[in-house]
Amino acid sequence: MLIAPETQSQQAGCVIALSPGQPASSVPLCQLPAGASGRVCALRGETAFCQRVREMGFGERAFVTKIGGRGPFLCVVNGCRLALNHDAAAAILVEPLAGAAA
Amino acid sequence: MSPATSPSPVPASSAATRSPVYALVGNPNAGKSTLFNALTGLKQKVGNYPGVTVERKVGTAYSQHGQALTLIDLPGAYSLAARSPDEAVTRDVLLGRRADTPTPDRIVCIADATNLERNLYLVHQILDLGRPVILVLNMMDLAAQAGLRIRADRLEHELGIPVIPCEAAHGKGIIELKLALSRHELPLPRHAWTVPPALAPAVSELQASLTDHDAKGPLVARAEALLLLTDPDPLRVSGSTPLSAPTQRLLESWKTRWQGEGTDWSGELVAARYEAIGKLVAQVVVPAEATAGAAGAGAGSALALSDRIDAVATHPVWGWVIFLGIMATMFLAIFTLAEIPMGWIEGLVGWTAERVAALIPPGAFHDLVIDGAIAGVEGVIIFLPQILILFFFIGLLESTGYMARAAFIMDRVMSKVGLNGKSFIPLLSSYACAIPGVMATRTIEEPKDRLVTILVAPFMSCSARLPVYLLLIAALVSANEVPLGTQVGLLLLLYSLGTGAAFFFAWLFKKTLLRGAPPLMILELPPYRLPRLRDVFFQMAERGWVFVKRAGTVILALSLLLWFLANHPKPPEDAARPEDPLAHSYAGRVGRVVEPVIAPLGFDWRIGIGLLQSFAAREVFNSSMSVIFSVEESADEETGRARLREALRAAERPDGTRLFTPLVCLNLMVFYVFAMQCVATLAVVRRETGGWKWPLFQLGYMTGTAWLLCFVIYQVGRALGF
Repeated sequence: MLIAPETQSQQAGCVIALSPGQPASSVPLCQLPAGASGRVCALRGETAFCQRVREMGFGERAFVTKIGGRGPFLCVVNGCRLALNHDAAAAILVEPLAGAAA
Repeated sequence: MSPATSPSPVPASSAATRSPVYALVGNPNAGKSTLFNALTGLKQKVGNYPGVTVERKVGTAYSQHGQALTLIDLPGAYSLAARSPDEAVTRDVLLGRRADTPTPDRIVCIADATNLERNLYLVHQILDLGRPVILVLNMMDLAAQAGLRIRADRLEHELGIPVIPCEAAHGKGIIELKLALSRHELPLPRHAWTVPPALAPAVSELQASLTDHDAKGPLVARAEALLLLTDPDPLRVSGSTPLSAPTQRLLESWKTRWQGEGTDWSGELVAARYEAIGKLVAQVVVPAEATAGAAGAGAGSALALSDRIDAVATHPVWGWVIFLGIMATMFLAIFTLAEIPMGWIEGLVGWTAERVAALIPPGAFHDLVIDGAIAGVEGVIIFLPQILILFFFIGLLESTGYMARAAFIMDRVMSKVGLNGKSFIPLLSSYACAIPGVMATRTIEEPKDRLVTILVAPFMSCSARLPVYLLLIAALVSANEVPLGTQVGLLLLLYSLGTGAAFFFAWLFKKTLLRGAPPLMILELPPYRLPRLRDVFFQMAERGWVFVKRAGTVILALSLLLWFLANHPKPPEDAARPEDPLAHSYAGRVGRVVEPVIAPLGFDWRIGIGLLQSFAAREVFNSSMSVIFSVEESADEETGRARLREALRAAERPDGTRLFTPLVCLNLMVFYVFAMQCVATLAVVRRETGGWKWPLFQLGYMTGTAWLLCFVIYQVGRALGF
């Protein structure tokens, strides 16, 4: 079963999370530049994957810093380093945080 | 909403006649095995949970009063909403679903203090069970280094359970933990969290239905109701205990309703838990200094060091250089360092055989013991040093945190064939033996990816193939001493051929038979740590013991059977027309039967016997050749090998032509690379896949490929005049 990633609550969470000075557009994590940080605003893909990502503390509103990698990517979430392959990183939409760097 | 509103103390064991059973549970990389080893020492038993190839570790710890306590080390899990077989075992043991494992009286949760929020998620789910829990906060030193001060007393107050700060790697906190384990009575948790209002009625109704129709206790029913709503797949939650029809209907009706309303029920449940955990963490974790920006918060010196190492270890170029360097070192150690202890084992077995032979008078029983039992077991046990060295390296790589980086590095390659980096570790283990390789697939979450990895793992050239390769290379090269460059080059070619075959068939299966979406990999990379050599040696000893037990049971039985088949019936004693005993034996007759099938590959019936015997253990081929070509035994290992090599070179077909031509030797090596010739692996695959369908398929496609390739090579080689 697939769930629509942009449910109302998730979108709402994403909108609420934005603050002045932050870009309004979200990008897949794979497109976030290395060294940049962002806030997760939506998850795409299979429900089971979304669920596990959330259970690992990588759900909506989590802060993520992309350390590097060209796919797989290396990220830090809540001080925990996670590796994601390209498809997994493409399924996580983040709002880049202006001026935040690793 | 609290699952236990009136906590009452619970005695250590509900069954007065047995020692209390504690389950040890936590996230992967939380230090669970280190704590388990610290508590149990050498008093451990390693086995498997029946029905799955998930390792089962049970140990005995002692309370401060000397009372024996049974400790079950459960596989690491991120959530009770299990996504892989090992997580399912953890869930089922905690929910009391496994008939082979007693329901734990108490649960010891271990949490990584450096990442408390994520680790408390599983703890939170376990507290829902309403069972007595002890929480161990491990790696407190690393948390302090990261600038985090954790108020364990406050956490204990909030959760109502004993909370023990600990540094398992340094033995700190173990006494305090033992004191907690020794307590006759433990309070029940009193944590509270609010289930989202939209879901609360469903949780209550499902709890009632599970209690009424599925015979669950009230607290377990509530925990299962929450799991059913957390995991989108109810079949995965219910596992081997399917839901009753009324509960199933109730669940479906709620899901249909929420789908209509656009409610993401599972996401809301996780978010609600994290919200409750977030509030708790805010009260108990005090950052030493204000952290600017949540991203990367808590990154202290340990993390910074790991970052610096990762900048090189996961670098697109240097990462590969390091990875290949480590792999080369490992294989070099396996094939060179192991030579010395292998010689010792050979000598010891030879000495034992001589002593035993002196005790037993010549006859059938003498031959059975010496040629059947001892020779058969020796053929396998001799590889113990290689297995131990491989597991030493694997343990070292896991213990330092590098193994996850290796999976990271290999992900790009694995993704080309439709798998992800997690499949790399089972394939690496398969270079020693496919059995631990198949067992290591238990961490792969996607069932199709796991099955593909299992199906191709035996292509990786295991250590049992090595002696066959070495013998055939020696027979192939005309010089008495095979030049090192030639030997290494040919070995590299054979290992590459197997690895290439594994990748090709993985790609083929993912495109056809087991088609599936590209796997999404999310893998935790633990901080780099100095290896805990004690734990590495523990793991090495455990694996080695499993291997030795297999040699002493399955291999011994098969060796005896094969010896019988190769020696019976005896030919009639006719001095005028002496008959070859082997040709007259059952094995010889079977060799004749299979000869028409293997003749197009250049193999005769004598090679056929060796091939058949290899199904017990591939390396038996060498001893088969020794018996078939009547090579005299020699106490000197080198002399024995040289005699066998000469015997193969001298072997002739009935028409007087040479049997082991370079083409036949090459073909035999190719056959051994591709053919599925290991009964023990097939048995493990049967257990893992739950039936004979996939092991038989594996036997068929691998051996079929081997036959086809050898047919082409031999016929083309002959046509070209080789």
